[in-house]
Amino acid sequence: MNENVIDRSRDITILEVLDRVLNKGVILTGDIVISVADVDLIYLGVKLMLSSVETMEKLKAGKH
Amino acid sequence: MGKMIYSIIKASEEPTQITEVLSGLRGISGANLEFVQCADIIAVTCSAERKEVVADRSNTLDYAGVIDELSKTCTLLPVRFGSVMESEDDILKMLERNYQGIQNNLDKVEGKVEFGLKVFCDTEKLKSRPEIFGEENIKIFDKPPGRQNNSVYLDYVNKKLIEYRIEEALLLFVNSVIKEITDCCISVGANGKFRKMVNQNNIIDALFLVERSKTNGLIGVVKELQVKYPDLDFILTGPWPPYNFVDITIS
Amino acid sequence: MSENKILFSTGNLDGLAEDIGKMTDTEGSKLKLHPDNADSGLAKLVLTLVELIRKLVEKQAMRRVDGGSLTDEEVERLGETLMKLEMKMEELKKHFNLTDRDLNLNLGPLGDLM
Repeated sequence: MNENVIDRSRDITILEVLDRVLNKGVILTGDIVISVADVDLIYLGVKLMLSSVETMEKLKAGKH
Repeated sequence: MGKMIYSIIKASEEPTQITEVLSGLRGISGANLEFVQCADIIAVTCSAERKEVVADRSNTLDYAGVIDELSKTCTLLPVRFGSVMESEDDILKMLERNYQGIQNNLDKVEGKVEFGLKVFCDTEKLKSRPEIFGEENIKIFDKPPGRQNNSVYLDYVNKKLIEYRIEEALLLFVNSVIKEITDCCISVGANGKFRKMVNQNNIIDALFLVERSKTNGLIGVVKELQVKYPDLDFILTGPWPPYNFVDITIS
Repeated sequence: MSENKILFSTGNLDGLAEDIGKMTDTEGSKLKLHPDNADSGLAKLVLTLVELIRKLVEKQAMRRVDGGSLTDEEVERLGETLMKLEMKMEELKKHFNLTDRDLNLNLGPLGDLM
């Protein structure tokens, strides 16, 4: 039970970090920028980031 | 060879400080960190080839780590991941062109950190116990005046009417919680932004910009709020660099 | 970055876990139109919009009923219309094999559609 909370805490922290780093902050736009982070990366990106299927399975399992 | 920008920081009076700070850190994939200075603002960078910069777990966490470390000693504006410019010269020109906006934002966030407060509840469960919402719920089950007959359509309307009233009561409740949060945060001088009803579970998503010294004060406020609202779950995260409090788009 | 940034929580992280689950569910709310699923992809889009409008109309109607300005007859007719609308939606959802969850788009910063 404790382990699950720790895992979740870590995943929540990562989720929060990724939301900020991929979606927020100063945005540079225009021709001057060779940007890697495009709009679709945003929520699709968060999905990819937490990509470890094990993590998701663990979370779902941990709920019951 | 492009240059990826991590953040824009305020230069300190000590010209050598930035070199010292950066020498102790590594960027994504272990890259060395460099910088471009324009008067008293500095863009922290590293070399990057577009095709090598992938937004994967490791890179994004490394990136966030750099910004987090820097924010401990510098006033900074985080830059969105993946901002790569062609050359240091381009970066310099960009800093010059946007100098005023950058300065304004740096002043705004000086000495402050960001906190995120998310409030969760099982809305379906709450809706089945509308007494939680307060007195508004008294009216929820009243039949509208003048409703005499019965018919399958009227029953349907009544059912929907109750659902509607419960939903409205929930919204009023959320507004009252936001007001409570705002009032309690006055003591820590927090500047707050709120999103309501993000989804089934997340009724409030708030962000605060607070002086770093008030961190414990804010934690205390949230603890009290949790006691006040035992059926809700408060999750406070931070301190973060001010990702959500920079309002500048640079082109 | 290894620090844990959680300063306070009750330890009941179920709500957030569900959110994370939704975000990692690559089958889920993001609409993808490929040649092979264009039909159902389109159906999903159309039904999502119809459902949104239906819910808005229903809400507006209830607001009026609650206001007390409608006659019994008007309320009854409203009920009939709304009920038939909802039944039609259920039929369509069943026909295209879509659940309520399928129709609930995640709008990113704006939260869930419904």
